[in-house]
Amino acid sequence: MTESTRPDTFADARAGARVDVSADPWTELAFASLSIARRFAASATMWCASPQWPSHGRHVAVEFVHPVIVGKRALPAVSVESTDLVGAVRLLARPGDVVLAIGTADDPRVTRLMKRADAWGVTGLWIGAGPRPPAGAADHVVWFDGLDATFSARRGDLVLLYHLLWELTHVVFEHPGLLAVDAPCTDDVCVTCSDEGRVAEVAVVLDGGRAEVLAAGHLETIDVSLIDPVAPGDLVLVHAGVAITSFSEARREAFSDPQRGDVSERKRDE
Amino acid sequence: MRFVDEYRDPAAARALVSQITELAGDDHFKFMEVCGGHTHTIYRHGIEHVLPPSVELVHGPGCPVCVIPMGRIDDAIAVAETRDVVFTSFGDMMRVPGGEGNLLQAKARGADVRFVYSPLDALRIAVESPDRDVVFFAVGFETTAPSTALTLLQAREHNVTNFSVFCNHVTIVPPIKAILESPDLRLDGFLGPGHVSTVVGQRPYRFVPAQYGKPLVTAGFEPLDILQAIAMLLVQIREGRCDVENQSPRVVKEDGNPRALRLLAEVFELRPHFEWRGLGFISQSALKLRPEFAAHDAELRYSVPGVRVADPKACQCGEVLKGVIKPWECKVFGTACTPETPIGTCMVSSEGACAAYYNFGRLHREAAVALGRPV
Repeated sequence: MTESTRPDTFADARAGARVDVSADPWTELAFASLSIARRFAASATMWCASPQWPSHGRHVAVEFVHPVIVGKRALPAVSVESTDLVGAVRLLARPGDVVLAIGTADDPRVTRLMKRADAWGVTGLWIGAGPRPPAGAADHVVWFDGLDATFSARRGDLVLLYHLLWELTHVVFEHPGLLAVDAPCTDDVCVTCSDEGRVAEVAVVLDGGRAEVLAAGHLETIDVSLIDPVAPGDLVLVHAGVAITSFSEARREAFSDPQRGDVSERKRDE
Repeated sequence: MRFVDEYRDPAAARALVSQITELAGDDHFKFMEVCGGHTHTIYRHGIEHVLPPSVELVHGPGCPVCVIPMGRIDDAIAVAETRDVVFTSFGDMMRVPGGEGNLLQAKARGADVRFVYSPLDALRIAVESPDRDVVFFAVGFETTAPSTALTLLQAREHNVTNFSVFCNHVTIVPPIKAILESPDLRLDGFLGPGHVSTVVGQRPYRFVPAQYGKPLVTAGFEPLDILQAIAMLLVQIREGRCDVENQSPRVVKEDGNPRALRLLAEVFELRPHFEWRGLGFISQSALKLRPEFAAHDAELRYSVPGVRVADPKACQCGEVLKGVIKPWECKVFGTACTPETPIGTCMVSSEGACAAYYNFGRLHREAAVALGRPV
């Protein structure tokens, strides 16, 4: 697509022109706003990162944290910049927090960050443009598909997305009923399913075939003797306190098919 | 890419539904999802409502809680009420009704019943309480059995003599075979279980196309996984193929987890037969401890009634488990039998077809009926 034929989304929006709300990313933006508003209402902090364009990471954090409109609440958001982004966010984020990343689908730093969200118990939100990440790469993928990523980052299309995200999040706060989530469990027994599998990230490898892992943001000790040796940062599938497969192994298979994975991650693993 | 991916992208889902609709055409297809985890996803995300009417999903017997017969619950309660016993169980077994109530009621009567996340937790309790006898209520398919096997090896290695296992582990292949031979049901293919297959691999399913001429696709647990697996089944049928295929190569390997399989073989052996709720006795469909582990076998250590208890007449869990009827077609569904006061096991576990439908699908169906729309 040449630059002249690109939809000038940001310019259209600023000029008050009608924006096609039936197309992506608007629907997902609305869901993402609802989701993070609920998290903020439950005391979450949003950790923002944009390794490719750090100024966007800082901008979105400032956007949420300063009450630009009188009467609106400041929402806790912090920009994270580090050469070890995964390590930094792992250290800072608590279960229930939000991790927002702005970047292209082929940025391995964002990919590694997002695929750990389950294990850390955080909500992942990925904003970008250009070729889209694989389905399910994050809890919410808010994306301008048809635009050039670098051009969008410079022109302001991504700014439009996270400004709207901020606006819509506050719209949710204006309707407290939307903030209600499922009632807390009052059952007399925690239903620990006999056959439930969970994703966990290895934190520390212990002796005796055990490892300390992060599962849904909480540390627990599991047995890893049934899979190949693991290292901190590996993702494993845990059933009843025992890892039955390692995604590090599966990763190579998954990415052997170029249709299924991102090339940069495959190169890294090889 | 996250690896138990939340495959929930609406655009991709719409594309898959279009593909499924086109492939199915005017014919009618009936596929069974074997695993309770799939049933849960199907109801939770409303997959039945986006599929064309020509594709029907039938819910199979893959919820380990749902298939435990009432007599085994009574046996568990008898062990739990033995003097000095600490009876440990996964949480979802606590409310499963037997003929003599459930484990929670036994706890209320004074039995020391505790729920644990892993059998390793039960072993820890045994180590910390040497004056008590700790029993673990082992339930589950090949996904959970390795953790029980590992625990038993550790108990033997560390000579934890006050630890035993009441083994009710079952295997996934025999019930598939039983369903294929059931005259009640005519199926066009199977969605195979994802996590069980991480352990057993793809090979054990080869008999399904080879002997019964039905395709099987092993699928992950996210909505798009299931839709893609349905599309793969239809592609096979339309191309005149009949194979075992893997939709979820990121976790399922052809040979499964050989180390876990060796461990299972070391600790367990097949029972000659085992009763499955709704399916009756199925030969070589469950595991018991090998004689080398007799010291840790609760069935040998304690006196249990071992009586077969018939399901309540009103309960139609059997038909639901075989996919002969849908949950809402059961006479007591949503009235006498609810997740708060379950009569049948399918209403107890979150993976049970009735509980999943009660929690997620019921209102959609009721609204559709009220509006006169197809359901």
